[in-house]
Amino acid sequence: MGTVHAKADHGEVGGGLFEFEEPVDLDDERTLPKPSIQLGGVRARVDRVHVDGLSRTKDDVVRGTVNDLFLATDFEDVILRAHKVRRALDSMGCFRDIGVLIDVSSGPDATPEGLEVTFQVKELSRIVGGINTTVSENEGNLVIGVKMPNVLGRGERLHAEYSVGHRSTSNFSIAATKPFPRTPLVPVLTTSIFQQNHEYPWSGYRLLDRGVLLDVAFKTSPRTTHNLQWEGLVRDTSVLSKTTSFKVRESSGPQMKSALRHIVTVDNRDEPIFPQRGTRVQFSSEVSGLGGGVAFLKSELLGEANVPLAENIVFQVSGALGVLHDMFGTELTEHFYLGGATTLRGFRQRGAGPHSDNQATGGRMYWASGVHLYTPLPFRPGAGGLGDLFRSHLFANAGCLAGPEESSAMYLSSLSQVRVSIGAGIALRLGRVAKAELNYCVPIRACAGDATAPGLQLGVGAHFL
Amino acid sequence: MPEYSLKDSIITSLNAQEPWPDNVMLFQPYEVEQILLPDNASCLAVQAFLKMCNLPFEVEMRWNAEFMSPSGRVPFIKCGAFVVSELEPIVQFAANKGVSLCSRLSSEEKAEMRAYMSLITNVLVNAELYISWIHEETFNSVTKTRNSSVYPWPLGWIQTRSKRNAVTKRLKALHWHDKTLDQVLADVEQCCKSLSQRLGDRDYFFGSPTELDALVFGHVFTIITTRLPCRGLAETVLRHSSLVSLAKRIDEKYFKRP
Repeated sequence: MGTVHAKADHGEVGGGLFEFEEPVDLDDERTLPKPSIQLGGVRARVDRVHVDGLSRTKDDVVRGTVNDLFLATDFEDVILRAHKVRRALDSMGCFRDIGVLIDVSSGPDATPEGLEVTFQVKELSRIVGGINTTVSENEGNLVIGVKMPNVLGRGERLHAEYSVGHRSTSNFSIAATKPFPRTPLVPVLTTSIFQQNHEYPWSGYRLLDRGVLLDVAFKTSPRTTHNLQWEGLVRDTSVLSKTTSFKVRESSGPQMKSALRHIVTVDNRDEPIFPQRGTRVQFSSEVSGLGGGVAFLKSELLGEANVPLAENIVFQVSGALGVLHDMFGTELTEHFYLGGATTLRGFRQRGAGPHSDNQATGGRMYWASGVHLYTPLPFRPGAGGLGDLFRSHLFANAGCLAGPEESSAMYLSSLSQVRVSIGAGIALRLGRVAKAELNYCVPIRACAGDATAPGLQLGVGAHFL
Repeated sequence: MPEYSLKDSIITSLNAQEPWPDNVMLFQPYEVEQILLPDNASCLAVQAFLKMCNLPFEVEMRWNAEFMSPSGRVPFIKCGAFVVSELEPIVQFAANKGVSLCSRLSSEEKAEMRAYMSLITNVLVNAELYISWIHEETFNSVTKTRNSSVYPWPLGWIQTRSKRNAVTKRLKALHWHDKTLDQVLADVEQCCKSLSQRLGDRDYFFGSPTELDALVFGHVFTIITTRLPCRGLAETVLRHSSLVSLAKRIDEKYFKRP
């Protein structure tokens, strides 16, 4: 919530100080706190804009950002535009604190309704380091990162990261990012080099990926993000133990992959974790085989809708759908897998679908869905504080995974062999990107060969079904 | 070096009662375009051993045989749920199933056989690795092309480089890396001499075929039949006619195509 301090200067006309302390949502229809002043009618123009505290940030980007202010015609407009500029400066990722000061202009060139706007900025230090923990698909990592914000003065970033996971895997990545804030669609270009280690004990293999990723992110509307990516990588697949299924063993060895990917995300939710309302749809398509030893087409659609039923009681429906079409050389690592605390609850990780010697070999087509009813904790302990990080929920999941060797008619029949599970549990928000869930699950329908996990199940991750 | 855990040997011995199944497969790299001299020798040795034991098997060629193998070396056999790689573990595995070529040998003869087998692994295998990976001309004209033939560019280059580094490291540790070609060939000559002295004018080292004969056959036959820019290795071996005739004898007897 923002506050607008209006300080009427005694005797002087139009003098005032307006200061934003927090990001203000002035687009809202909310009424401003008293005393209210009608600002719309006051004619004003901006004579001059100062930006204090710039040292290595280049003038042209700042100038481009603040130019908008000179188009203001009345006082309200000035405030709104100043706020927009503030947000734009903030999103450049170059500054730590941004203060805005609006004053009447003085000096020989001052016009009668003239104003001066001053932005007080503090640049981020040249190098920022940090140690933090992250959670990904059921793995916790300790991350050591070094960031160099605003390297060349136009918002360019260098980011290096080294992480060790609790499953003793180690990864590193070095990424260079260049934003183009003043061009249409606000593209952001990212190049990264990475090495990623993953272990999949449920399938009995280990991956070592080394590669390059080029990514262009752009927005076609404020809520629609596109990512266009090219990824080239060398993937070393090795088996985890001597008892690994022979089918998994057959797919080991180094492989090279070169793929183009397009991901479009439309996110209308009010919050990424525990949203009250809104929908999110993500569609990703991948074409692999521009060079390299593996060629396939892969599409995946994820959707989620939230409907508030009463205060803090939210009904959520989510669904996922994926199709993989193999041209040549597609191995287990590219397959879809289903089951586990973040997808089909009540099944072991990768527990649904084809198995070979108790090791999941994945499928080439799947669908999965979930319905949830989120409520605050019963009796609302810690309401307004810690308790707000928790939700209790009831859920039902259903899904299906079809193996690769079946014919198209078999695909249809195996896609109708639905697995269903229901349950209830408690979810905990971890920051704004991840959550943890502890659920009691009851698998209702499973197929032969599936590995179910009835009872308590703990899941940590960024995306849940 | 391959790792063998206690658990594996227990499982293997528990499995001893089961007879040799019919669907045993031997996995190795592609013979025509991919396989290299040292790998070819060991694949041939295992094949000869299995044929001497009269154990049925099928050869299956895979580009990633090396990576599928539990020890990282070729060849390996898949026998039911078991995957066993390289000659000695396979000999052990067959012995657990009651198939052995050296059961009638005395323990001194068995020890002698083991000594000759380790002589071959220590000299001939290293010499083959040296010629394939360290000898510039052979590496450039044969090894590089063959090793990278199954990968798309630039993966082939990366794989060849990393494998060459691994072989260099191994040979350095064994003090073979700094030898000149002549020194390597002298070692080979020495090895062949002691082998042919032991063989004498017998048909096989111990009267009837054993795994030592299979191993000698694998190496000698591969060395004399593989065309390489470096002729020295083949010439050195060819000078020992008793070894060459042993290899020819085994080839005639076990590998004769109808």
